[in-house]
Amino acid sequence: MAGDGERGRPMKKHKASSSSYSKAVHMMEEEDFNDYGNDFDDDSRDGEREIKKRDFTQLELKPDHVNRPLWACADGRIFLETFSPLYKQAYDFLIAIAEPVCRPESMHEYNLTPHSLYAAVSVGLETETIISVLSKLSKTKLPAEIIDFIHGSTANYGKVKLVLKKNRYFVESPFPEVLKRLLKDDVISKARINSEDLHGAETFTISKAVREIQGGHEDLLNGAELAAAAEEKETHSFEIDPAQVENVKQRCLPNALNYPMLEEYDFRNDTVNPDLNIELKPQAQPRPYQEKSLSKMFGNGRARSGIIVLPCGAGKSLVGVSAACRVKKSCLCLATNAVSVDQWAFQFKLWSTIKDEQISRFTSDNKEKFRSLAGVVVTTYNMVAFGGKRSEDSEKIIEEIRNREWGLLLMDEVHVVPAHMFRKVISITKSHCKLGLTATLVREDERITDLNFLIGPKLYEANWLDLVKGGFIANVQCAEVWCPMTKEFFAEYLKKENSKKKQALYVMNPNKFRACEFLIRFHELQRGDKIIVFADNLFALTAYAMKLRKPMIYGATSHNERTRILQAFKNSPDVNTIFLSKVGDNSIDIPEANVIIQISSHAGSRRQEAQRLGRILRAKGRHQDRMAGGKEEYNAFFYSLVSTDTQEMYYSTKRQQFLIDQGYSFKVITSLPPPDSGAELNYHSLEEQIELLSKVLNAGDDMVGLEQLQEDADDIANIKSRRSAGSMSAFSGASGMVYMEYNTGKSKQAGLKSKPKDPSKRHVLFKKRFAP
Amino acid sequence: MDLVAALPAMKLDKLYESTFICEAVLRSLPPMAKRYVLQMLYIDTLITAKSMEEWLLPDGLSKHKVAIDRLLQLRVFLEVTDRKKETSYKINPKFQSNIQKYLVNGGTLPREPMPLSITVRLPTLEDLETYASEQWECFLLQLINSAQAEKLTSFSSSMIKVFQRGLLSARENEAPKLTENGFQFLLMDTNAQLWYIIREYISTAEDRGVDPTDLISFLLELSFHTLGEAYNLNTLTDVQRIAIKDLADLGLVKLQQGRKESWFIPTKLATNLSASLTDSSSSKEGFVVVETNFRMYSYSTSKLYSEILRLFSRIEYQLPNLIVGAITKESLYNAFENGITADQIICFLQQNAHPRVAQKIPTVPENVTDQIRLWETDKNRVEITPSYLYEDFPSKEVFEAACDFSRELGGLLFEDSRTMRLVVRVEIIRGSSLVAVPEQSNIFGWIHKAHRVVLHGLRMHEVATMDEITLMRMEESRRQSGTIQISADCSSQFLLRKPVLHLMQDPHELT
Repeated sequence: MAGDGERGRPMKKHKASSSSYSKAVHMMEEEDFNDYGNDFDDDSRDGEREIKKRDFTQLELKPDHVNRPLWACADGRIFLETFSPLYKQAYDFLIAIAEPVCRPESMHEYNLTPHSLYAAVSVGLETETIISVLSKLSKTKLPAEIIDFIHGSTANYGKVKLVLKKNRYFVESPFPEVLKRLLKDDVISKARINSEDLHGAETFTISKAVREIQGGHEDLLNGAELAAAAEEKETHSFEIDPAQVENVKQRCLPNALNYPMLEEYDFRNDTVNPDLNIELKPQAQPRPYQEKSLSKMFGNGRARSGIIVLPCGAGKSLVGVSAACRVKKSCLCLATNAVSVDQWAFQFKLWSTIKDEQISRFTSDNKEKFRSLAGVVVTTYNMVAFGGKRSEDSEKIIEEIRNREWGLLLMDEVHVVPAHMFRKVISITKSHCKLGLTATLVREDERITDLNFLIGPKLYEANWLDLVKGGFIANVQCAEVWCPMTKEFFAEYLKKENSKKKQALYVMNPNKFRACEFLIRFHELQRGDKIIVFADNLFALTAYAMKLRKPMIYGATSHNERTRILQAFKNSPDVNTIFLSKVGDNSIDIPEANVIIQISSHAGSRRQEAQRLGRILRAKGRHQDRMAGGKEEYNAFFYSLVSTDTQEMYYSTKRQQFLIDQGYSFKVITSLPPPDSGAELNYHSLEEQIELLSKVLNAGDDMVGLEQLQEDADDIANIKSRRSAGSMSAFSGASGMVYMEYNTGKSKQAGLKSKPKDPSKRHVLFKKRFAP
Repeated sequence: MDLVAALPAMKLDKLYESTFICEAVLRSLPPMAKRYVLQMLYIDTLITAKSMEEWLLPDGLSKHKVAIDRLLQLRVFLEVTDRKKETSYKINPKFQSNIQKYLVNGGTLPREPMPLSITVRLPTLEDLETYASEQWECFLLQLINSAQAEKLTSFSSSMIKVFQRGLLSARENEAPKLTENGFQFLLMDTNAQLWYIIREYISTAEDRGVDPTDLISFLLELSFHTLGEAYNLNTLTDVQRIAIKDLADLGLVKLQQGRKESWFIPTKLATNLSASLTDSSSSKEGFVVVETNFRMYSYSTSKLYSEILRLFSRIEYQLPNLIVGAITKESLYNAFENGITADQIICFLQQNAHPRVAQKIPTVPENVTDQIRLWETDKNRVEITPSYLYEDFPSKEVFEAACDFSRELGGLLFEDSRTMRLVVRVEIIRGSSLVAVPEQSNIFGWIHKAHRVVLHGLRMHEVATMDEITLMRMEESRRQSGTIQISADCSSQFLLRKPVLHLMQDPHELT
C-alpha cells in the first residue's frame, strides 16, 4: 500500500490555479483512472510456470466420484465440471468461497485464497459448513492441507462485526471470548463506551441475531446441512465511540489483531437519518443474477459492505439503484468522470421513483445544490478527493457532503481507483454501508487487497458465459486481426534511432490502417452497425480519425463536445463510427455500439481489454430480430488489430488472458482486407504508404507515443496545443456525410452478401481461415 | 500388409494356401481392388488391361492404377504379357480357389474353442479388454521410458532394443531420446502402433531362426479367432508357441493354465488385427476436453497418456483420474522441434475427445486448432534447402557456364558474379558433371536479394528461403551480433537448424 502514493498521480502534483481548476479535473479524470501502469505484467500464471506440476494422484477417489462435481487440490486449486448435475449448486457455493481462475465451457478452475474465504465468511458461511460442503462435492477425500488452510484462514474472519445501530457503533460477535481478546487491546478498550455498565466490564449486550436468509446456499445439497448453519444465534456486543471507529477498524486488520471487522448497516432500525422515499419502478425487473447479488448484500436484513462484480453491460447500475431503493436513505454515488455522472443520474431517474429535487449532480461543470433532506448525490471521485483550492460553490457542496451521514456509498468502477484516493474519499464521507461495483477485479497488485478492507469483500461475481447463454449480455465474437508490417515500416521499426517511435510505427502500419478501414466499411455498410475504434496512441488516433473523417474523443475533448459527439453517435444515422482514446475505456455508456476495433492499446493490460469489450456487451434486442438465428448469432464484434512481428503480438496474448479465462475465444484472422479487394481503401499505393511513413518519422518523439504524454500530465499547455491540433474539422457535422460519399466496389458487396445463408451462421470474416 | 507385399513371390504363394490369409488380404485391399477381385473371382481367362480400363469412368483412372498396383504387389493379380505386348491380368489361382472355397464353405479355423467344461474361470470380455490395454500400455511405457514402467514385460532387453530402434535415438552415455518417428509413433492409434511393433517383430524373426512367413500367417490366422474364447495351446506348432508368449506380453492374447491343459484367449487387440488394416478408426472412448483457453483436461489414469500429453502440452496438475494441462506456445514449439506436426496433435485431440465434447462441432475449439496451425506456420517461415557452394572458379566464363547450366536444371539458388560464387540445390549435383569443391568452413552466411540466406558451417551448405520481413529480421540480428540469429521479439519465433542459429526467447533482449 505504501507505494501507491507514488504510483498514482497525487492530487498535489496539480498546481493548477483555481481558474483552470475545471480543466485540471477533467485531466485528472482521464489520467488517474486509466493508469494501467502497474497492472499488466504480473500475471499469476507466470508464477505457476516455474513451479513444477503438482501430483495429487495419491488422493483417494470416492467410489461414487462420477456423481460428484469437483476436485480439490492441496494447493487450493479446485476444478469443477460444468456438466455435472450438481453444477448449479456447486457453482454458487464455489463462487462464494473461492476466486474464479477461468470459466470456459466444460471445466472451471477456482482458487481458494484467504481473501475468498474472508468473503465467504462475511456472507455468513462458517468454517465447518465450508469444509463439509466442499467435501460432499469433492470426488476425492479432501486433502488435509485444504482443511487446515480453511481452518487457518477463516479462524478469525467474520468473527467480529461493526454495526451502526441508531447511529451508535457496536462491535458485535457471537463469540464473547473474541470480544474479550479485542478489549485487551488498548486502543479498543479506550474506544469502548460503557453505557449500561452496571454489571461490570466483562458482560456484553446479548441479543438474538436475525436469522440468516441465505437464498443462495440453502438449497445446496437439499439444504439440510446448511440450514443448520444459519440457525439463530446469540450475539454479544459492546459499543464504541464513533470518533474512534477508524482506529478500531485499523487495529482489527490482519497486520494487527487479525480480526477483520465486517460492516453491516441495520438500516431498517435507523431512525436518526431521514428516509428517502424511493421505490423501484414496476418496469425495473432485476434479473436473476442481479437478484442474487442483492440477496448477498441484504442477506440478513441488514446491508453489508462489499463489492459486486458484474460484466459491463449486465446492468450494474440497476443493482446500484436497487440497493439504494432498499436502503432508502441518502445515497452518495461516485463515478469516474462527468459523462458517467450524467449517466448515473439518468439511471436513477429511469429505474426508480426518485423525484427531480431529490437527486443532484456535482461535477466541475454542473454544481447542483441539494434540495431535499434526504437525496441522491452523484459526483466523481476527483470532486470529493480533490485536495486543491475549490471554487466557492463547490466548497459549499463538499462541505455538505462531508457533514451528511450517508446511508449508502455507491462506488462505480472500483477497480480503477487508486487506494489512496479511496482512503481519502472514505475519510471525507461518512457512510453506513459501502457498495463497490466493477466488471473486472483483475489487479494482481496489492490494490485489490486494499479494496477488500476499504470497501469490503467481494459479495458476488457473475459468470460471463452463463450471462451470454441467458441472453443477458451480447454474444461477442472476438477476433485478433494479424496485419503484416509493410517492408518500409518494418525497416524503420528495426532501426535503433526509432526506438521511441516503435509504437507509432506499428500502429500506423498501412496494412493495419487498411484492415481498420475495411472493417469500418464492412460493418457500416453491410450490417448497419455502430462502431467504436479505440486507440491509445494519440498520434494514431488523430491520424486515423482525420483520414477517415470520423469524430473522435480524447482526454482534452471538453465535456460539452463529448456529449455532442456521443449524442450524434446515438441518434444520427450519419455518424456510425467514433474514435476514442483510452478515455472511453471506462464508464462512458454507449449502448448503441456493437463493434469495437482496437488499433492500439496499453501494452499488456488485461483489464483494459476487458473494459473495452464491455463497451459492447449490452445485449441488443433489435439485432436478434434482425438475424435469422436469434440468440445463437453473434451480434457484437470485437477486433483487435495487431501488427505481426512486432511487440504488439507479445502484448496481445497477454491482454486477452482475462477474457480467455472468462471463456471467450479469440479467432485469428490473417488476411484483411481479403486479397481480392482493397484497392479502394486508403494507402493502397506504395507512394501513399511512403508518404505516411515520412509523416510518422517526421513527427516529434513526444508526438508519437502516449507514455510521454502521461509523464508530463501537469503540462497543460502541451495538451492544449495538441487539442487544437486535433481535428476540429472531424467534429463538424459534415464529417459523416462526406464519408457516405465513398463507394465500395460492387464485387465485394456481392461476395459478402452470401453470408446470412451460410448454415454455420458464422460471420463471413471468420470463415476466411488461412488454408489448412 | 506392406509387410506381406514385401515377401518374395514364393513365400507369398505359400501364404495364400491359408484361406484366412486370403481373406485378410482381401479385406485389406482398397475398395476398387476389392471390387476387381470379386468381379473376376469366377473368371478363369485372362482379362486384358484394355478391357479393364473400359470399365472405368473417366475420373477413376488414378484409383484404378492404385488398385492394380496393389493387386500386383500382393500377387493377387498376376500380370501376363502376350506376344503383341498387350498386358492382361488374372487372379492368382491359389488365392482364387481359396476365396471361392471360402465363399462356399465359410472358413474353418485350424482349431476349435475348448469346451467350457475344461476351461474354468474365463475372464469376462471387459476384464479381457482391461488386461489387453494394461499389457499394451505397460509395454509402451517400457518402450519409451524403461524407468517409468511399473512391471516389466518378459521381453528380453535385446528385443526391447530392437523395438526401440527407430523410435529412440540411443547415443553413447546419453539418456535415450525420442526421435521424430518415436513421437509420431506415440500419437498413432493403438492399431497402428501394434502393427509397427509387429512389423519390427517379424522383420527380426529371421535373426531368431523363425520364418517370417510362419509368423505372418499365424498372426493373420489369430485375427480370425473368436474374441474371449479359449484355445488349446497344444494345437500350436513350436514356432507358434514361442510367438504366443511374446504376443501375450503385448496383450494380444491372455494365457491361462488349467489343471491339465493350458490355453490362450485372444483379446480385442488380436481380433482387430486384420480389420485394422483398412479401418484404423478405433471405437475407443475418448478422454480429452480442450477448452477455448487452451487448457486441456484429460480423464485418464494412465501414465502412458500423461507421457503422451507431455509431448505437446504442459502438465500442471495430476489428480487421481484427471490430468490437467495447458497447450502453450512453448510446449508446442517443443513438439514441433521433435518432428510432431500440428495436424498430428489436432488429430490426436479430436480422436480422443471426451464423449462430453465429442458430439460438439468442432470437438476441439476452432481457435485452439487455428492457433496450433498458426504457430506451426510461424515456425516454418524459413525453408531450408540443402545445397552446395562453389567458388574459386578459374574464369568468368566457366562461372557463367556453370550458372547457366544449373539454371537450366532448375537448381540455381544463389549466384554472385562479383565474387564468383554459386550455390545450387543438392539434388542437381547427383548424376551431373559438376563436382563439388571441398566444403568451406565459414561460419557466416550472406544474404541474397531473393530473400535467401546462404548458411555455412554445416557439412553441407544450406539456403534458407523466407519472406521479406523475416529476412529483415535476420539482417537486423546479424547487424547486432555478427552472426545470423533468428530472434523473436514477439510471438513469432522461428527455429532453424540449431548449430547455425540460436534463438532468443526473451522479448526484451532485442530492445
